[in-house]
Amino acid sequence: MRTFFAKTVAIGAISMLALTACGGGRDEETGGSDAPAKGFAANSLIGVALPAKTSENWVLAGDLFTNGLKEAGFTSDVQYAGASTTVADQQAQITAMVTKGAKVIVIGATDAAQLSTQVAAAHQAGAKVIAYDRLITNTPDLDYYVAFDNFKVGQLQGQALLDGMKAKKPTGPWTIELFSGSPDDNNAGVFFNGAMDVLKPAIDKGDVVVGSKQTEVKQTAIQGWKAEGAQARMDQLLTSTYGSKELDGVLSPNDTLARAIITSIKGAGKKVPVVTGQDSEVESIKSIMAGEQYMTINKDTRTLVKETINMVKALQAGNAPQVNDQKSYNNGSKVVDTFLLPPVAVTKANAAEAYANDPKLAPLTKA
Amino acid sequence: MSRFKDLQKNLFGGTTSNARQFGMIFTLVAIVLLFQFLTDGLTLRSDNLIALFQQNSYILILAIGMLMVIVAGHIDLSVGSIAAFAGILVAKSMTEWDLPWPLAILFGLAIGAAIGAWQGFWVAYIGVPAFIVTLAGMLIFRGGNQFIGNANTIPVPEGFRVIGSGFLPEVGPNTGYNNLTLLLGLAACLAVIWREVQARRTRHEMDADAGPMWVSILRMAVMVGVLAFVALRFASGRVGTSFPVSGIILVALVILYSFYTRNTAGGRHIYAVGGNSRAAELSGVKLKRVNFFVMMNMSVLAALAGMIFVARSAASGPQDGNGWELDAIAAVFIGGAAVAGGIGTISGSIVGGLVMAVLNNGLQLQGVGTDRVQIIKGLVLLLAVALDVYNKSQGRFSVIGSIMRPFRREAPATPASSAAEREPAKTSVSG
Repeated sequence: MRTFFAKTVAIGAISMLALTACGGGRDEETGGSDAPAKGFAANSLIGVALPAKTSENWVLAGDLFTNGLKEAGFTSDVQYAGASTTVADQQAQITAMVTKGAKVIVIGATDAAQLSTQVAAAHQAGAKVIAYDRLITNTPDLDYYVAFDNFKVGQLQGQALLDGMKAKKPTGPWTIELFSGSPDDNNAGVFFNGAMDVLKPAIDKGDVVVGSKQTEVKQTAIQGWKAEGAQARMDQLLTSTYGSKELDGVLSPNDTLARAIITSIKGAGKKVPVVTGQDSEVESIKSIMAGEQYMTINKDTRTLVKETINMVKALQAGNAPQVNDQKSYNNGSKVVDTFLLPPVAVTKANAAEAYANDPKLAPLTKA
Repeated sequence: MSRFKDLQKNLFGGTTSNARQFGMIFTLVAIVLLFQFLTDGLTLRSDNLIALFQQNSYILILAIGMLMVIVAGHIDLSVGSIAAFAGILVAKSMTEWDLPWPLAILFGLAIGAAIGAWQGFWVAYIGVPAFIVTLAGMLIFRGGNQFIGNANTIPVPEGFRVIGSGFLPEVGPNTGYNNLTLLLGLAACLAVIWREVQARRTRHEMDADAGPMWVSILRMAVMVGVLAFVALRFASGRVGTSFPVSGIILVALVILYSFYTRNTAGGRHIYAVGGNSRAAELSGVKLKRVNFFVMMNMSVLAALAGMIFVARSAASGPQDGNGWELDAIAAVFIGGAAVAGGIGTISGSIVGGLVMAVLNNGLQLQGVGTDRVQIIKGLVLLLAVALDVYNKSQGRFSVIGSIMRPFRREAPATPASSAAEREPAKTSVSG
């Protein structure tokens, strides 16, 4: 028994030593020591983590990133979160990008508040993190934010809603309903507040009436930006409030929800009111040209992706990327340097002009 | 016997129910090596191993509880919802009622226990099938999560995050490694050696065949080698990182529950109930109590898993827990549990969970999208269980089992000598 024990200990000790010898201690090179802000190799890996493929926009953005980064000479890794376990997927994807040594990680967050651990890890590994379209909250380690001016989006939607209703029915009061996006998306509140910035004075004056009296963000929110959620809520509103009353307008935060709302209203046999939108989705452009949906917002994904890639290029060269807002976007831990792009409101009247250089949408506006 | 046959018989023990588990261990090793090769060494790099454990500890903790539920012949579909429900309450308790985080953890476990008692009551004392009770629970507690959280994301304080994303502190002299992780590794190696020595001594005392000495030494060398390698990997990550805290919680639970299910009467009763509940009841097993316990235990572990995920995500969100039950169930079945109950081990489920985890991680490192990852994971689950079903239809033994059959017949009274994985022969109810 004694020799047996001695042999085992010896074998254990030898293998321990052998492993120590080839293991070689902590890998210091990943410790963020490559900080001398001189940029990085031109063919470095750039990670892009996007949410689940729930809207055309994200699919388009992914393709644009893949091609754009390749053209710029980078190696890219573009990932979408899965459909069911979105947050955990995205966390794992970002961690994998850090492990692979990505120099810049662009994140379109699924849940803006649940990524701080991964962003911190990326920062410690020396990667720059750019929040794309959705601001990542509660982390001091986010470097840049690039997005369309979302408060402006809301304002444009609110204004278009008022203009559209006036055009249809010259005198008020007008009856409207309000919808807002997913409560876990930081942008949803910003759109809504922007729209209310315009609508609130009219509501206070009594020119505009919210039929159901549901004016809180929480009451109007559609979890996960899901079309079926918006359709169900509209169905219920029609039953509870619009048995005999006429509905003049609906504030919808995006196109997917706008179409769901219109489907619901048409299903109830009502006249389609003025419905706002956003994202310039193909189906909605068709709907606008057919005179159903009233407006959408053109936030050209091409421009946004191009600006993001410009940021990556600047970082690669060791320069500070261009930003135009260093005070409005506080994520709860710090004010994030932001590059904002201006959105454009599109109705049937200016559609042809707005989408003139969009190969997919331009033909739709000809008809 | 030739040396090769000695090895086959003694290295990991030779019972049929274990055969697939060891098949799975080899699969796991093969997958790790494959991805290690395909990703140019990223898979076994310390930061990736640490991330792997942090990302999957909560699923593996669920798999521990799910194994016991499935062995008892039930299923639990509500774990994801319970995790989300406990997560949101714990997050709220800290941000709104200013509960200190250690108390909040206890509060979370208490919520798990209360929910578990509720579900256990319906399953054990009323006799509603667990599938229905937990399907209801899935709806009830998902709704509860949204009701309480208003579908908002609620951040949790720094201290609480330790259980999900924390590391061991750096203490002692600068050795170029995390010292506490090294100590843990050393303790694990000594424990393995001690167990082997103990096992051999017991065999000698009982006049049982202890197997050739060189097999014991080889087995120990392999295990000590693997442990040392893993410990050094974890210890050599970036300064400030170590074996993750969530990993330590997982390992502690695995050891605790493995001992419970293998070496205690209460644990063996679960197998008895799952194997044949009527027979078990007639032999004096308190059926209701066992069923109540497994359901309640599952909910407590689900609450713990939920808290660990929230701690890692730094916030409790409305998407938490979606689809977790399926990951846990998949891990258990890949790890060799029988759909009908009565068969399966904790360590097997952990290996099954790790197969999925490594597969996921390796494919992500390769840049494979989630769409294809899901397809591959689905196929792996199907093939793993199909292999089991096929083997059973061929006469209740697997390919590996059939190779080993002659040796079992040769020495029928000899319990398997593996220290790590065997089920005690005297109470074995597995087919």
